[in-house]
Amino acid sequence: MIRSLILIGFTYLIFHLHITGDINKYINMKYSYLSAAAGYALLVLTIVQILMLNKEPSKDAGCDHDHCGHNHSKEDKWYKKLYIYPIFAFPIISGLFFPIATLDSNIVKAKGFHFPIYDEGQGDSFMQQQFLRPDTSVYYGKDDYDTLMKKEKKKYVNQSTIILNDKNYLKGMETIYNFPGDFLGKEIEFKGFVFNDKETIDKNQLFVFRFGVIHCIADSGVFGMLVDMPEGTKLKNDEWVTVKGKISTIYYQPFKTNIPYLKVEEWSKTAAPKEQYVFRGY
Amino acid sequence: MFGISLPQSFLQMNTIFISILIEALPFVTLGVLISGIIQIFVTEEMIAKIMPKNRVLAVIFASFLGILFPSCECGIVPIVSRLVSKGVPISAGIAFMLTAPIINPVVLFATYIAFGSDWKMPLYRGVGAIIVAIVTGIFIAYRYKGNPFKENYHHHHHHHEKTTFWKKVWRTLEHAVEEFFSMGKYLVIGSLIAAAVQTYVKTSTLVSIGQGPASSSFVMMALSFILSLCSEADAFIASSFRTTFSTGSLLAFLVFGPMVDIKNLMMMLATFKKRLVLMIVVAVFVIVFGYSLLF
Repeated sequence: MIRSLILIGFTYLIFHLHITGDINKYINMKYSYLSAAAGYALLVLTIVQILMLNKEPSKDAGCDHDHCGHNHSKEDKWYKKLYIYPIFAFPIISGLFFPIATLDSNIVKAKGFHFPIYDEGQGDSFMQQQFLRPDTSVYYGKDDYDTLMKKEKKKYVNQSTIILNDKNYLKGMETIYNFPGDFLGKEIEFKGFVFNDKETIDKNQLFVFRFGVIHCIADSGVFGMLVDMPEGTKLKNDEWVTVKGKISTIYYQPFKTNIPYLKVEEWSKTAAPKEQYVFRGY
Repeated sequence: MFGISLPQSFLQMNTIFISILIEALPFVTLGVLISGIIQIFVTEEMIAKIMPKNRVLAVIFASFLGILFPSCECGIVPIVSRLVSKGVPISAGIAFMLTAPIINPVVLFATYIAFGSDWKMPLYRGVGAIIVAIVTGIFIAYRYKGNPFKENYHHHHHHHEKTTFWKKVWRTLEHAVEEFFSMGKYLVIGSLIAAAVQTYVKTSTLVSIGQGPASSSFVMMALSFILSLCSEADAFIASSFRTTFSTGSLLAFLVFGPMVDIKNLMMMLATFKKRLVLMIVVAVFVIVFGYSLLF
Protein backbone atom coordinates (compact mmCIF):
# COMPACT_ATOMS: atom_id res chain seq x y z
CA MET A 1 0.00 0.00 0.00
CA ILE A 2 2.65 2.50 1.07
CA ARG A 3 4.79 1.33 -1.82
CA SER A 4 2.04 2.14 -4.29
CA LEU A 5 1.77 5.61 -2.82
CA ILE A 6 5.52 6.11 -3.08
CA LEU A 7 5.56 5.07 -6.72
CA ILE A 8 2.57 7.29 -7.44
CA GLY A 9 4.45 10.10 -5.71
CA PHE A 10 7.60 9.68 -7.80
CA THR A 11 5.63 9.42 -11.03
CA TYR A 12 3.57 12.45 -10.11
CA LEU A 13 6.65 14.44 -9.16
CA ILE A 14 8.24 13.87 -12.55
CA PHE A 15 5.13 14.67 -14.56
CA HIS A 16 4.40 17.64 -12.36
CA LEU A 17 7.84 19.10 -13.07
CA HIS A 18 7.44 18.50 -16.79
CA ILE A 19 3.97 19.98 -17.02
CA THR A 20 4.71 23.07 -14.95
CA GLY A 21 8.00 23.52 -16.77
CA ASP A 22 9.92 23.65 -13.50
CA ILE A 23 12.06 20.81 -14.76
CA ASN A 24 14.41 23.35 -16.34
CA LYS A 25 15.32 24.54 -12.87
CA TYR A 26 16.82 21.11 -12.26
CA ILE A 27 18.19 19.77 -15.51
CA ASN A 28 19.38 20.79 -18.95
CA MET A 29 16.29 20.54 -21.15
CA LYS A 30 18.35 18.80 -23.76
CA TYR A 31 18.08 15.71 -21.59
CA SER A 32 14.45 16.14 -20.62
CA TYR A 33 13.44 13.18 -22.80
CA LEU A 34 15.34 10.93 -20.38
CA SER A 35 13.37 12.00 -17.36
CA ALA A 36 10.13 11.91 -19.36
CA ALA A 37 10.92 8.31 -20.31
CA ALA A 38 11.63 7.57 -16.65
CA GLY A 39 8.24 9.07 -15.82
CA TYR A 40 6.48 6.64 -18.14
CA ALA A 41 8.54 3.70 -16.88
CA LEU A 42 7.63 4.61 -13.31
CA LEU A 43 4.00 4.84 -14.33
CA VAL A 44 4.21 1.26 -15.55
CA LEU A 45 5.89 0.16 -12.31
CA THR A 46 3.20 1.97 -10.33
CA ILE A 47 0.45 0.09 -12.17
CA VAL A 48 2.29 -3.19 -11.63
CA GLN A 49 2.65 -2.45 -7.93
CA ILE A 50 -1.05 -1.64 -7.57
CA LEU A 51 -2.02 -4.83 -9.40
CA MET A 52 0.39 -6.80 -7.21
CA LEU A 53 -1.39 -5.36 -4.22
CA ASN A 54 -4.67 -6.82 -5.43
CA LYS A 55 -3.20 -10.20 -6.11
CA GLU A 56 -1.40 -10.50 -2.81
CA PRO A 57 -3.94 -12.28 -0.59
CA SER A 58 -4.20 -15.30 -2.86
CA LYS A 59 -0.44 -15.46 -3.23
CA ASP A 60 0.26 -15.49 0.46
CA ALA A 61 -2.25 -18.23 1.08
CA GLY A 62 -1.12 -20.55 -1.64
CA CYS A 63 2.49 -19.57 -2.10
CA ASP A 64 2.76 -21.49 -5.32
CA HIS A 65 6.38 -22.10 -5.86
CA ASP A 66 7.13 -19.55 -8.54
CA HIS A 67 5.97 -16.78 -6.28
CA CYS A 68 7.86 -17.80 -3.20
CA GLY A 69 10.73 -15.50 -2.71
CA HIS A 70 8.93 -12.49 -4.08
CA ASN A 71 7.09 -9.99 -1.95
CA HIS A 72 9.99 -9.26 0.29
CA SER A 73 8.09 -6.38 1.70
CA LYS A 74 6.33 -9.00 3.79
CA GLU A 75 9.57 -10.18 5.28
CA ASP A 76 10.75 -6.71 6.25
CA LYS A 77 10.60 -5.96 9.92
CA TRP A 78 8.10 -3.30 10.95
CA TYR A 79 10.83 -1.05 12.38
CA LYS A 80 12.65 -1.13 9.07
CA LYS A 81 9.61 0.25 7.33
CA LEU A 82 9.62 3.01 9.88
CA TYR A 83 12.76 4.52 8.38
CA ILE A 84 12.74 3.15 4.84
CA TYR A 85 9.45 4.67 3.76
CA PRO A 86 10.21 8.12 5.15
CA ILE A 87 13.43 8.02 3.09
CA PHE A 88 11.40 7.48 -0.06
CA ALA A 89 8.77 9.98 0.98
CA PHE A 90 11.25 12.77 1.65
CA PRO A 91 12.17 13.66 -1.96
CA ILE A 92 8.53 13.49 -3.01
CA ILE A 93 7.47 15.93 -0.32
CA SER A 94 10.46 18.21 -0.60
CA GLY A 95 10.32 18.16 -4.39
CA LEU A 96 6.65 19.03 -4.54
CA PHE A 97 6.27 21.44 -1.67
CA PHE A 98 9.57 23.13 -0.90
CA PRO A 99 10.29 26.20 -3.00
CA ILE A 100 12.85 25.62 -5.72
CA ALA A 101 16.02 27.48 -4.87
CA THR A 102 18.24 29.09 -7.45
CA LEU A 103 21.95 28.64 -7.19
CA ASP A 104 23.71 31.86 -6.25
CA SER A 105 26.88 33.22 -4.69
CA ASN A 106 26.35 30.88 -1.75
CA ILE A 107 27.12 27.93 -3.99
CA VAL A 108 29.97 29.77 -5.70
CA LYS A 109 31.57 30.09 -2.26
CA ALA A 110 31.21 26.37 -1.67
CA LYS A 111 32.11 25.13 -5.11
CA GLY A 112 34.68 27.70 -6.09
CA PHE A 113 35.26 28.69 -9.68
CA HIS A 114 37.75 27.90 -12.38
CA PHE A 115 38.40 29.41 -15.73
CA PRO A 116 39.20 27.34 -18.75
CA ILE A 117 42.54 28.97 -19.46
CA TYR A 118 44.36 27.48 -22.41
CA ASP A 119 47.88 27.99 -23.51
CA GLU A 120 47.37 30.48 -26.29
CA GLY A 121 48.52 34.04 -25.99
CA GLN A 122 49.73 33.63 -22.46
CA GLY A 123 52.95 35.26 -21.37
CA ASP A 124 55.21 34.21 -18.55
CA SER A 125 52.42 32.74 -16.55
CA PHE A 126 52.08 30.19 -19.29
CA MET A 127 55.52 28.85 -18.43
CA GLN A 128 54.54 28.54 -14.82
CA GLN A 129 51.44 26.64 -15.77
CA GLN A 130 53.45 24.34 -17.94
CA PHE A 131 55.77 23.71 -15.07
CA LEU A 132 52.83 22.42 -13.08
CA ARG A 133 51.57 20.18 -15.85
CA PRO A 134 54.51 19.32 -18.04
CA ASP A 135 52.93 17.23 -20.75
CA THR A 136 49.59 18.85 -21.33
CA SER A 137 50.44 20.89 -24.40
CA VAL A 138 51.11 17.72 -26.36
CA TYR A 139 48.09 16.17 -24.93
CA TYR A 140 45.33 18.59 -25.74
CA GLY A 141 45.61 17.67 -29.40
CA LYS A 142 45.86 21.19 -30.62
CA ASP A 143 45.01 20.51 -34.25
CA ASP A 144 41.43 19.32 -33.95
CA TYR A 145 40.55 21.64 -31.17
CA ASP A 146 42.10 24.63 -32.84
CA THR A 147 40.09 24.21 -35.99
CA LEU A 148 36.91 23.97 -34.00
CA MET A 149 37.69 26.93 -31.80
CA LYS A 150 39.00 29.07 -34.65
CA LYS A 151 35.69 28.64 -36.39
CA GLU A 152 34.00 29.83 -33.23
CA LYS A 153 36.42 32.69 -32.93
CA LYS A 154 35.75 33.96 -36.46
CA LYS A 155 32.10 34.33 -35.57
CA TYR A 156 32.94 36.77 -32.81
CA VAL A 157 36.14 38.55 -33.70
CA ASN A 158 34.69 40.45 -36.62
CA GLN A 159 31.75 41.83 -34.71
CA SER A 160 32.24 45.34 -33.42
CA THR A 161 30.37 44.67 -30.20
CA ILE A 162 29.98 41.13 -28.98
CA ILE A 163 26.75 40.62 -27.11
CA LEU A 164 26.48 37.41 -25.12
CA ASN A 165 22.91 36.30 -24.47
CA ASP A 166 21.36 33.16 -22.98
CA LYS A 167 22.08 31.17 -26.11
CA ASN A 168 25.70 31.99 -26.85
CA TYR A 169 26.94 32.78 -23.35
CA LEU A 170 28.88 29.59 -22.70
CA LYS A 171 30.33 29.23 -26.18
CA GLY A 172 31.26 32.91 -26.30
CA MET A 173 32.97 32.83 -22.91
CA GLU A 174 34.87 29.71 -23.84
CA THR A 175 36.07 31.31 -27.04
CA ILE A 176 37.24 34.43 -25.26
CA TYR A 177 39.14 32.41 -22.70
CA ASN A 178 40.73 30.40 -25.47
CA PHE A 179 41.94 33.37 -27.47
CA PRO A 180 42.23 36.25 -25.05
CA GLY A 181 44.82 37.82 -27.31
CA ASP A 182 42.43 38.11 -30.25
CA PHE A 183 39.79 39.76 -28.16
CA LEU A 184 41.98 42.41 -26.55
CA GLY A 185 40.30 45.79 -26.86
CA LYS A 186 37.09 44.25 -28.20
CA GLU A 187 33.86 45.56 -26.87
CA ILE A 188 31.64 43.02 -25.21
CA GLU A 189 28.37 43.08 -23.32
CA PHE A 190 26.89 40.45 -21.06
CA LYS A 191 24.68 39.93 -18.06
CA GLY A 192 25.24 38.02 -14.86
CA PHE A 193 25.17 38.10 -11.09
CA VAL A 194 27.77 39.77 -8.93
CA PHE A 195 30.27 37.78 -6.93
CA ASN A 196 32.87 39.38 -4.69
CA ASP A 197 35.79 37.38 -3.39
CA LYS A 198 38.51 38.43 -1.01
CA GLU A 199 40.83 39.35 -3.87
CA THR A 200 38.41 41.80 -5.38
CA ILE A 201 36.48 43.11 -2.41
CA ASP A 202 38.87 45.97 -1.67
CA LYS A 203 39.27 47.02 -5.26
CA ASN A 204 36.80 48.27 -7.81
CA GLN A 205 36.66 44.74 -9.11
CA LEU A 206 34.12 41.98 -8.95
CA PHE A 207 33.11 38.90 -10.87
CA VAL A 208 30.06 38.68 -13.08
CA PHE A 209 28.96 35.08 -13.32
CA ARG A 210 26.23 32.84 -14.59
CA PHE A 211 25.69 29.21 -13.70
CA GLY A 212 26.22 26.90 -16.65
CA VAL A 213 24.48 23.55 -16.55
CA ILE A 214 25.67 20.41 -18.31
CA HIS A 215 23.20 17.72 -17.29
CA CYS A 216 21.64 18.76 -14.04
CA ILE A 217 22.34 21.59 -11.67
CA ALA A 218 24.44 19.32 -9.48
CA ASP A 219 27.11 19.45 -12.17
CA SER A 220 26.78 23.18 -12.80
CA GLY A 221 29.62 25.61 -12.49
CA VAL A 222 29.99 29.35 -12.84
CA PHE A 223 31.19 30.97 -16.03
CA GLY A 224 31.92 34.63 -16.36
CA MET A 225 34.56 37.26 -16.07
CA LEU A 226 36.43 39.47 -13.69
CA VAL A 227 35.24 43.03 -14.28
CA ASP A 228 36.74 46.38 -13.38
CA MET A 229 33.97 48.74 -12.32
CA PRO A 230 34.09 52.54 -12.40
CA GLU A 231 35.58 54.15 -9.28
CA GLY A 232 33.54 53.75 -6.15
CA THR A 233 30.98 51.26 -7.41
CA LYS A 234 30.16 48.61 -4.86
CA LEU A 235 27.66 45.90 -5.55
CA LYS A 236 26.39 43.15 -3.34
CA ASN A 237 26.62 39.49 -4.18
CA ASP A 238 23.78 38.15 -6.34
CA GLU A 239 22.75 41.51 -7.74
CA TRP A 240 22.15 41.13 -11.47
CA VAL A 241 23.96 43.53 -13.73
CA THR A 242 24.54 44.12 -17.42
CA VAL A 243 28.10 45.17 -18.11
CA LYS A 244 29.65 46.55 -21.27
CA GLY A 245 33.29 47.34 -21.83
CA LYS A 246 36.59 46.42 -23.39
CA ILE A 247 38.47 43.19 -22.83
CA SER A 248 41.91 43.28 -21.33
CA THR A 249 43.96 40.81 -19.33
CA ILE A 250 45.11 40.97 -15.76
CA TYR A 251 47.29 38.89 -13.46
CA TYR A 252 45.07 37.12 -10.98
CA GLN A 253 47.05 36.08 -7.93
CA PRO A 254 45.00 33.07 -6.74
CA PHE A 255 45.33 31.40 -10.14
CA LYS A 256 48.89 32.62 -10.64
CA THR A 257 48.11 33.46 -14.23
CA ASN A 258 46.75 36.14 -16.51
CA ILE A 259 43.03 36.01 -17.03
CA PRO A 260 40.82 38.06 -19.35
CA TYR A 261 38.92 40.82 -17.66
CA LEU A 262 36.52 43.51 -18.64
CA LYS A 263 37.13 47.22 -18.18
CA VAL A 264 33.56 48.34 -17.71
CA GLU A 265 32.45 51.48 -19.49
CA GLU A 266 28.71 51.17 -19.08
CA TRP A 267 26.75 49.12 -16.64
CA SER A 268 23.29 48.91 -15.20
CA LYS A 269 21.44 46.86 -12.65
CA THR A 270 18.94 44.51 -14.21
CA ALA A 271 16.33 42.10 -13.01
CA ALA A 272 17.36 38.47 -12.89
CA PRO A 273 16.43 36.80 -16.18
CA LYS A 274 13.62 34.30 -16.24
CA GLU A 275 16.07 31.53 -16.90
CA GLN A 276 19.00 32.23 -14.66
CA TYR A 277 21.06 29.32 -15.83
CA VAL A 278 22.69 28.91 -19.18
CA PHE A 279 22.78 25.45 -20.69
CA ARG A 280 25.46 23.67 -22.58
CA GLY A 281 24.14 22.91 -26.01
CA TYR A 282 26.23 19.92 -26.90
CA MET B 1 5.45 27.19 3.09
CA PHE B 2 4.30 25.38 6.25
CA GLY B 3 4.55 28.65 8.12
CA ILE B 4 8.24 28.16 8.73
CA SER B 5 11.02 29.58 6.68
CA LEU B 6 13.78 27.21 5.79
CA PRO B 7 17.27 28.64 5.31
CA GLN B 8 18.18 29.39 1.72
CA SER B 9 21.16 27.03 1.83
CA PHE B 10 18.90 24.17 2.85
CA LEU B 11 16.59 24.88 -0.06
CA GLN B 12 19.56 24.98 -2.41
CA MET B 13 20.73 21.66 -1.06
CA ASN B 14 17.26 20.27 -1.57
CA THR B 15 17.16 21.58 -5.13
CA ILE B 16 20.52 19.99 -5.93
CA PHE B 17 19.34 16.78 -4.27
CA ILE B 18 16.17 16.63 -6.38
CA SER B 19 18.16 17.39 -9.51
CA ILE B 20 20.57 14.50 -8.81
CA LEU B 21 17.58 12.23 -8.27
CA ILE B 22 15.89 13.33 -11.47
CA GLU B 23 19.11 12.82 -13.37
CA ALA B 24 19.66 9.36 -11.86
CA LEU B 25 16.08 8.06 -12.03
CA PRO B 26 16.06 7.22 -15.75
CA PHE B 27 19.20 5.14 -15.31
CA VAL B 28 18.03 3.47 -12.12
CA THR B 29 14.70 2.63 -13.71
CA LEU B 30 16.45 1.24 -16.76
CA GLY B 31 18.76 -0.70 -14.43
CA VAL B 32 15.95 -2.33 -12.48
CA LEU B 33 14.10 -3.19 -15.69
CA ILE B 34 17.18 -4.82 -17.20
CA SER B 35 17.72 -6.60 -13.91
CA GLY B 36 14.16 -7.90 -14.18
CA ILE B 37 14.69 -9.03 -17.76
CA ILE B 38 17.86 -10.88 -16.79
CA GLN B 39 16.08 -12.48 -13.87
CA ILE B 40 13.21 -13.81 -15.94
CA PHE B 41 14.53 -14.29 -19.46
CA VAL B 42 18.20 -15.18 -19.02
CA THR B 43 18.94 -18.67 -17.82
CA GLU B 44 22.02 -20.08 -16.12
CA GLU B 45 22.61 -22.21 -19.20
CA MET B 46 22.73 -19.20 -21.49
CA ILE B 47 25.31 -17.51 -19.28
CA ALA B 48 27.37 -20.67 -18.96
CA LYS B 49 27.45 -20.85 -22.74
CA ILE B 50 28.68 -17.29 -23.24
CA MET B 51 31.07 -16.88 -20.33
CA PRO B 52 34.59 -18.25 -20.83
CA LYS B 53 35.35 -21.08 -18.39
CA ASN B 54 38.76 -19.75 -17.48
CA ARG B 55 38.52 -17.26 -14.61
CA VAL B 56 40.96 -14.76 -16.07
CA LEU B 57 39.39 -14.92 -19.51
CA ALA B 58 35.96 -14.43 -17.96
CA VAL B 59 37.18 -11.26 -16.24
CA ILE B 60 38.71 -9.91 -19.45
CA PHE B 61 35.59 -10.77 -21.43
CA ALA B 62 33.36 -9.03 -18.85
CA SER B 63 35.58 -5.94 -18.83
CA PHE B 64 34.92 -5.33 -22.51
CA LEU B 65 31.22 -6.16 -22.36
CA GLY B 66 30.44 -2.66 -21.14
CA ILE B 67 31.14 -1.24 -24.60
CA LEU B 68 27.69 -2.40 -25.61
CA PHE B 69 26.03 -1.12 -22.54
CA PRO B 70 25.01 2.50 -22.24
CA SER B 71 24.68 2.61 -18.50
CA CYS B 72 25.46 5.06 -15.81
CA GLU B 73 26.87 3.91 -12.47
CA CYS B 74 23.52 4.43 -10.76
CA GLY B 75 21.84 1.58 -12.60
CA ILE B 76 24.64 -0.92 -12.73
CA VAL B 77 24.56 -2.54 -9.28
CA PRO B 78 21.17 -4.28 -9.63
CA ILE B 79 22.19 -5.57 -13.07
CA VAL B 80 25.44 -7.03 -11.77
CA SER B 81 23.88 -8.64 -8.73
CA ARG B 82 21.32 -10.30 -11.00
CA LEU B 83 23.99 -11.54 -13.39
CA VAL B 84 26.00 -12.97 -10.51
CA SER B 85 23.02 -14.76 -9.05
CA LYS B 86 22.54 -16.26 -12.53
CA GLY B 87 25.97 -17.84 -12.44
CA VAL B 88 28.36 -15.17 -13.69
CA PRO B 89 31.49 -15.44 -11.53
CA ILE B 90 31.63 -12.58 -9.03
CA SER B 91 35.03 -11.51 -10.32
CA ALA B 92 33.68 -11.11 -13.85
CA GLY B 93 30.57 -9.38 -12.54
CA ILE B 94 32.67 -6.83 -10.68
CA ALA B 95 34.87 -6.26 -13.74
CA PHE B 96 31.73 -5.54 -15.75
CA MET B 97 30.40 -3.24 -13.03
CA LEU B 98 33.61 -1.21 -13.03
CA THR B 99 33.96 -0.65 -16.77
CA ALA B 100 30.35 -0.39 -17.97
CA PRO B 101 29.76 3.17 -16.76
CA ILE B 102 32.98 4.34 -18.48
CA ILE B 103 33.73 2.54 -21.70
CA ASN B 104 30.33 2.84 -23.33
CA PRO B 105 30.10 5.08 -26.42
CA VAL B 106 27.95 7.75 -24.79
CA VAL B 107 30.37 8.43 -21.96
CA LEU B 108 33.47 8.28 -24.14
CA PHE B 109 31.92 10.70 -26.59
CA ALA B 110 31.02 13.10 -23.78
CA THR B 111 34.63 12.93 -22.62
CA TYR B 112 35.79 13.64 -26.16
CA ILE B 113 33.63 16.76 -26.35
CA ALA B 114 34.53 17.96 -22.87
CA PHE B 115 38.23 17.82 -23.56
CA GLY B 116 38.11 19.93 -26.67
CA SER B 117 37.34 17.29 -29.30
CA ASP B 118 40.41 15.25 -28.63
CA TRP B 119 40.48 11.46 -28.53
CA LYS B 120 43.43 11.14 -26.16
CA MET B 121 41.49 11.77 -22.96
CA PRO B 122 38.66 9.29 -23.70
CA LEU B 123 41.30 6.80 -24.80
CA TYR B 124 43.32 7.13 -21.59
CA ARG B 125 40.10 7.02 -19.60
CA GLY B 126 38.84 3.87 -21.31
CA VAL B 127 42.18 2.10 -21.13
CA GLY B 128 42.51 3.04 -17.47
CA ALA B 129 39.05 1.68 -16.70
CA ILE B 130 39.81 -1.62 -18.44
CA ILE B 131 43.13 -2.03 -16.62
CA VAL B 132 41.52 -1.30 -13.26
CA ALA B 133 38.63 -3.69 -13.96
CA ILE B 134 40.84 -6.56 -15.13
CA VAL B 135 43.30 -6.27 -12.25
CA THR B 136 40.53 -5.87 -9.65
CA GLY B 137 38.58 -8.75 -11.18
CA ILE B 138 41.55 -11.12 -11.16
CA PHE B 139 42.41 -10.03 -7.62
CA ILE B 140 38.87 -10.89 -6.51
CA ALA B 141 38.87 -14.15 -8.48
CA TYR B 142 41.85 -15.39 -6.47
CA ARG B 143 41.40 -13.63 -3.14
CA TYR B 144 37.68 -13.73 -2.53
CA LYS B 145 36.01 -17.00 -1.66
CA GLY B 146 32.47 -17.70 -0.65
CA ASN B 147 29.11 -16.06 -1.06
CA PRO B 148 29.44 -12.51 -2.40
CA PHE B 149 25.98 -11.46 -1.24
CA LYS B 150 24.95 -10.06 2.09
CA GLU B 151 23.07 -12.57 4.27
CA ASN B 152 19.77 -10.77 4.05
CA TYR B 153 20.10 -10.09 0.35
CA HIS B 154 17.14 -11.84 -1.19
CA HIS B 155 17.73 -14.62 -3.59
CA HIS B 156 15.18 -15.31 -6.18
CA HIS B 157 14.94 -18.94 -6.94
CA HIS B 158 13.43 -19.52 -10.23
CA HIS B 159 12.16 -22.62 -11.74
CA HIS B 160 12.11 -22.90 -15.42
CA GLU B 161 8.72 -24.28 -16.00
CA LYS B 162 6.94 -23.34 -19.20
CA THR B 163 5.06 -20.09 -18.92
CA THR B 164 3.61 -17.75 -21.48
CA PHE B 165 5.57 -14.79 -22.73
CA TRP B 166 3.21 -12.28 -21.16
CA LYS B 167 3.41 -13.96 -17.80
CA LYS B 168 7.16 -13.60 -18.04
CA VAL B 169 6.84 -9.92 -18.89
CA TRP B 170 4.61 -9.48 -15.88
CA ARG B 171 7.13 -11.17 -13.60
CA THR B 172 9.90 -9.05 -15.07
CA LEU B 173 7.98 -5.95 -14.04
CA GLU B 174 7.20 -7.35 -10.61
CA HIS B 175 10.85 -8.00 -10.16
CA ALA B 176 11.72 -4.50 -11.33
CA VAL B 177 9.43 -3.04 -8.66
CA GLU B 178 11.13 -5.10 -5.96
CA GLU B 179 14.53 -4.01 -7.15
CA PHE B 180 13.43 -0.38 -7.33
CA PHE B 181 12.57 -0.44 -3.66
CA SER B 182 15.66 -2.28 -2.56
CA MET B 183 18.00 0.08 -4.47
CA GLY B 184 15.95 3.28 -4.32
CA LYS B 185 16.53 4.03 -0.67
CA TYR B 186 20.29 3.99 -1.14
CA LEU B 187 19.98 6.23 -4.17
CA VAL B 188 18.00 8.73 -2.11
CA ILE B 189 20.44 8.70 0.80
CA GLY B 190 23.48 8.86 -1.48
CA SER B 191 22.05 11.78 -3.47
CA LEU B 192 21.21 13.61 -0.27
CA ILE B 193 24.76 13.24 1.07
CA ALA B 194 26.25 14.34 -2.24
CA ALA B 195 23.96 17.39 -2.34
CA ALA B 196 24.83 18.31 1.24
CA VAL B 197 28.55 18.07 0.50
CA GLN B 198 28.18 20.25 -2.59
CA THR B 199 26.32 22.90 -0.63
CA TYR B 200 28.19 22.94 2.64
CA VAL B 201 31.74 21.77 1.99
CA LYS B 202 34.13 24.14 0.34
CA THR B 203 35.58 22.48 -2.74
CA SER B 204 38.25 25.15 -2.94
CA THR B 205 39.81 24.09 0.36
CA LEU B 206 40.01 20.55 -0.88
CA VAL B 207 41.45 21.66 -4.20
CA SER B 208 44.04 23.82 -2.50
CA ILE B 209 45.41 20.79 -0.63
CA GLY B 210 46.47 18.88 -3.68
CA GLN B 211 49.13 20.26 -5.97
CA GLY B 212 51.86 17.63 -6.01
CA PRO B 213 51.41 14.67 -8.37
CA ALA B 214 50.42 12.21 -5.64
CA SER B 215 48.30 14.54 -3.52
CA SER B 216 46.48 15.97 -6.54
CA SER B 217 45.43 12.50 -7.68
CA PHE B 218 44.28 11.80 -4.18
CA VAL B 219 42.28 15.01 -3.98
CA MET B 220 40.64 14.45 -7.36
CA MET B 221 39.60 10.93 -6.38
CA ALA B 222 38.10 12.24 -3.16
CA LEU B 223 36.31 14.92 -5.14
CA SER B 224 34.84 12.46 -7.63
CA PHE B 225 33.70 10.30 -4.73
CA ILE B 226 31.83 13.03 -2.92
CA LEU B 227 30.42 14.81 -5.96
CA SER B 228 28.85 11.52 -7.17
CA LEU B 229 28.40 12.85 -10.68
CA CYS B 230 26.86 10.93 -13.50
CA SER B 231 29.59 9.44 -15.67
CA GLU B 232 28.15 11.26 -18.67
CA ALA B 233 28.62 14.65 -17.06
CA ASP B 234 31.79 14.28 -15.03
CA ALA B 235 34.14 14.89 -17.96
CA PHE B 236 32.86 18.46 -18.24
CA ILE B 237 33.61 19.03 -14.58
CA ALA B 238 37.04 17.48 -14.93
CA SER B 239 37.82 19.69 -17.90
CA SER B 240 37.10 22.77 -15.83
CA PHE B 241 39.90 21.70 -13.50
CA ARG B 242 42.52 21.31 -16.16
CA THR B 243 44.24 24.57 -15.40
CA THR B 244 44.77 23.64 -11.79
CA PHE B 245 45.28 19.91 -12.09
CA SER B 246 47.54 17.57 -14.01
CA THR B 247 46.33 15.13 -16.63
CA GLY B 248 47.06 12.23 -14.28
CA SER B 249 44.88 13.56 -11.51
CA LEU B 250 42.08 14.39 -13.96
CA LEU B 251 42.23 10.79 -15.12
CA ALA B 252 42.06 9.65 -11.51
CA PHE B 253 38.87 11.71 -11.21
CA LEU B 254 37.40 10.30 -14.42
CA VAL B 255 38.20 6.67 -13.69
CA PHE B 256 37.58 6.53 -9.95
CA GLY B 257 34.31 8.48 -9.82
CA PRO B 258 32.13 6.19 -11.94
CA MET B 259 33.55 3.13 -10.15
CA VAL B 260 33.21 4.28 -6.57
CA ASP B 261 31.10 7.21 -5.43
CA ILE B 262 28.71 7.85 -2.56
CA LYS B 263 25.61 6.75 -4.46
CA ASN B 264 26.91 3.46 -5.77
CA LEU B 265 28.92 2.65 -2.64
CA MET B 266 25.64 2.70 -0.73
CA MET B 267 24.09 0.41 -3.32
CA MET B 268 27.06 -1.97 -3.30
CA LEU B 269 26.96 -2.17 0.50
CA ALA B 270 23.27 -3.03 0.30
CA THR B 271 23.98 -5.93 -2.02
CA PHE B 272 27.41 -7.38 -1.41
CA LYS B 273 29.30 -8.47 1.70
CA LYS B 274 31.26 -5.70 3.40
CA ARG B 275 34.54 -7.53 2.93
CA LEU B 276 33.98 -7.77 -0.83
CA VAL B 277 33.05 -4.09 -1.14
CA LEU B 278 36.14 -3.17 0.87
CA MET B 279 38.32 -5.26 -1.45
CA ILE B 280 36.79 -3.57 -4.50
CA VAL B 281 37.24 -0.06 -3.12
CA VAL B 282 40.83 -0.63 -1.99
CA ALA B 283 41.85 -2.35 -5.22
CA VAL B 284 40.25 0.34 -7.39
CA PHE B 285 41.82 3.07 -5.30
CA VAL B 286 45.34 1.64 -5.47
CA ILE B 287 45.23 0.87 -9.20
CA VAL B 288 43.70 4.19 -10.22
CA PHE B 289 46.28 5.95 -8.10
CA GLY B 290 49.12 4.05 -9.75
CA TYR B 291 47.68 4.62 -13.22
CA SER B 292 47.34 8.36 -12.63
CA LEU B 293 51.02 8.63 -11.73
CA LEU B 294 51.98 7.38 -15.19
CA PHE B 295 50.85 10.66 -16.76
